[in-house]
Amino acid sequence: MYHSNRRRSLTSVSAGAAVVLALGFASACSSKPDEFKDKRVGAMSNYAVGVDFRATTDQPLHFSMMYNNHPNYPLNEDWLFWSELEKRTNVHLDLVEAPLSDYNQKRTTLINAGQAPQIIPKTYPGQENEYVSSGAILPVSDYVNLMPNYSARVQNWNMQSDLDTLTQADGKYYNLAGMHEEKRTEYSFAVRTDLLTKDGIATPKTLDDFENMLKVLKDKECAGVAGCYPLSDRFNFAPPERPGGNLIRTIAAAFGVRAGWDYNTVSWDFNQKKYVLTAESDAYKQTLQYLNKLVTEGLLDPESFTQQDDQALQKFAQGKSFVISSNIQNVINDYRPNLKNIPGATVGMIPPPTGPMGNVMFGGRLENGIIFNADVKDSPNFVAMMQFVDWLWYSENGQEFAKWGVPGVTYTKDANGKRTLNPDITMLGFNADTATKQLQKDYGFYNGIFVYGGTRDLMHSFYSDEEQAFLDSVKDREVLPVPPPQPFDEDQQDQATQIEVDLTPHVMQESLKFILGSRSFDDWGNFVKELDGLDAQTYLGLVTDAYNAFQQR
Amino acid sequence: MVAIEQSAPRAPATPPAPPAKPRLVTAPRRRRWGRIHDTRGYRAFQVFNAIGLTLVVIATLVPFVHVVAKSFSSEVAIRTGRVNLLPIGFNVDTYRLVSHDHLFWLNYWNTIKYTSVSTVVALVLTTTYAFVLSKKHLKGRTLLIWVAVFTMFFSGGIIPNFVLISAMGLRNQIWAIALPNAISVFNLLVMKAFFENLPPELEEAAAVDGLNTYGILMRIVLPLSKAVLATMTLFYSVSFWNSWFPAFLYLDHQNLNPVTIYLRNLLVGATGGTNMGGQISDLHISANVQAVAIVLICVPILLVYPFIQRYFVRGVMLGAVKG
Repeated sequence: MYHSNRRRSLTSVSAGAAVVLALGFASACSSKPDEFKDKRVGAMSNYAVGVDFRATTDQPLHFSMMYNNHPNYPLNEDWLFWSELEKRTNVHLDLVEAPLSDYNQKRTTLINAGQAPQIIPKTYPGQENEYVSSGAILPVSDYVNLMPNYSARVQNWNMQSDLDTLTQADGKYYNLAGMHEEKRTEYSFAVRTDLLTKDGIATPKTLDDFENMLKVLKDKECAGVAGCYPLSDRFNFAPPERPGGNLIRTIAAAFGVRAGWDYNTVSWDFNQKKYVLTAESDAYKQTLQYLNKLVTEGLLDPESFTQQDDQALQKFAQGKSFVISSNIQNVINDYRPNLKNIPGATVGMIPPPTGPMGNVMFGGRLENGIIFNADVKDSPNFVAMMQFVDWLWYSENGQEFAKWGVPGVTYTKDANGKRTLNPDITMLGFNADTATKQLQKDYGFYNGIFVYGGTRDLMHSFYSDEEQAFLDSVKDREVLPVPPPQPFDEDQQDQATQIEVDLTPHVMQESLKFILGSRSFDDWGNFVKELDGLDAQTYLGLVTDAYNAFQQR
Repeated sequence: MVAIEQSAPRAPATPPAPPAKPRLVTAPRRRRWGRIHDTRGYRAFQVFNAIGLTLVVIATLVPFVHVVAKSFSSEVAIRTGRVNLLPIGFNVDTYRLVSHDHLFWLNYWNTIKYTSVSTVVALVLTTTYAFVLSKKHLKGRTLLIWVAVFTMFFSGGIIPNFVLISAMGLRNQIWAIALPNAISVFNLLVMKAFFENLPPELEEAAAVDGLNTYGILMRIVLPLSKAVLATMTLFYSVSFWNSWFPAFLYLDHQNLNPVTIYLRNLLVGATGGTNMGGQISDLHISANVQAVAIVLICVPILLVYPFIQRYFVRGVMLGAVKG
């Protein structure tokens, strides 16, 4: 008994030693062991830039994915998109749907309950922060080497400084963000161009021009019209609540600070090369002073910061205001149809006015992106999944497919590479008169879930002449560098969130008081003291520490 | 035997009594006072009461009439803010448009299904629970009450609930909607109070006559409780009709959704900032489509009220008067 046991243990020891030796030998021979050895089921061995992905399994691979269901084009399983996707890639997506209205909450619930689908798209940079510490999502930066198209874009488009802003305290990033080759300006102001012509006003370029335009409009067009203000604005209720979202953002950008929609407790000071508290900065004060001047002179409707979008739209449609925050789609969908009542009324976009910062615009070329359930790295199909995501979201062919559809069926491409939508299909105002079908609703292409960013060529391919003209008007602006990263660790993040709970609403509320004139700028010193009383300086300290820590790394 | 014979006819005689009661008490009193002299204070009260209630009615009705008017108006008229209480640019095209939306009707059917099943489940569970709690001689009654009341003040929160429902395999099933909300503690307590106020002699007599507990509940108590059952039906069906959150959380496919989620996505999804800064900012849902959807979703539940209302008043009074 003793002997046989001893013999058995000797045998197992020697067998174990042999395995160890063999492993050691193997690892010594190959320079790098294949960490994805068991995870390559369905993956292509020759996948690279320019190669279209197709899973190598006999049966289609199944990946689960969260789906943001848009009310304009409710999900339809018969869409050409799905069948064509499966045909091309041999991948079937099992969808977990959430309505657009509450997508974020469903994502949070699923992730926190540990039941998230594998692929979670439509996650804006920063939204992933709350999931990082639990370890529930994949540190995707560790695996981008499996994604040749993504990696090539990071390199060719110099995206690294943008990606750095996604970095967490552990030095990794978790959001596979959409990337634009070219910085894109979307929002500015729409103005009644017929009135500019009539009153001989040139398209405003600077903040002074902008104010003068409003003055002339007030003198010439508001006379005798009750409740008329040249500028009456919208966008007050988009969460997170930032009243006057676009108006304040655009003016603040001219002074060199991010506010309004872009408000962040701290801003990067380009001159001093350090982080400062946004609300205590001179640029922010100047922004509020400028807006206050507009209100005092009766050029800006005081309700601009509290009214619903509908009210602002109605004032514009009734000829009680002539300037309003906008993107191109708003012009096409809202303002132009609404102005049909006023004979001869025309509307167009003006470039965002420039200010003391000069002819610049803020950088940032990231879009919403994809996060992954951390469990995917244990899946035998992990490599195939990363290749699939790389192809569909980041390769030229994949993006063209997701946006334009199938050549010959939804669009044609001529020898110069110019794409044309088939005449019976409409999208973004193209073929509005001839079309019987819609690219999103009837085919499932141009879907916000799959279409983010892309090459300059692809982005421009869907611009109308008007959009092109607007973008050309800001083409010569110098793009400011992205602020350096300041990733919080878990404790810092908790503390920062805690401080912001009281600090941010106070800033919003008091900013409006300054703008509307119910608080005097003589009181600015007290305002700053109030902010410090709400631990603003502690917050700045956290940011500065995090920034320094990142720099040292 | 005598006692039973006396109580048996009393049982059916009781239900007609409550409607007679308010009529006897309030109507003649007002007439008598009117004939003598209303005090000045009382008349002033009546005037203010009438004005106050009229204002409340207007405040309640105007938004609704406004939405109805919008639903029949043209898009441009709404966008330019010209629609108030009457439709401008009258059209029914939007109704035609919405009525051709397959998903809308599918979700509508789901709502009807969920509301009916959930209401039935809720009524059964609430009634049986309340009946048990109304028995003062029951051992452990206090504990059972506290088990229910505890959930009024403390809940596990969204995530634990979600994990629980998933672990029970209820996700994407009607039971995920019907079961977690089957007992509203408030309704339970109202019903318990109602049952407690039923004369115990009735049940004793029935017991002597040979009915067991279930028989007493089914054949004596429930027929006497139509008023409170109607009230509970109203409470539950309205809340299930309007509810969207459990469905949103536990159902993962739009074909399973109730119409409230359809509507919410139409209203909030299109106007919220979820997509702000996104590439596709074509978030344009016509205001009249929204109005039509609101009207179509409100109408059935509004129609329930007139039919249940008389029970409703009685049921609430019965639950509350004795105390």
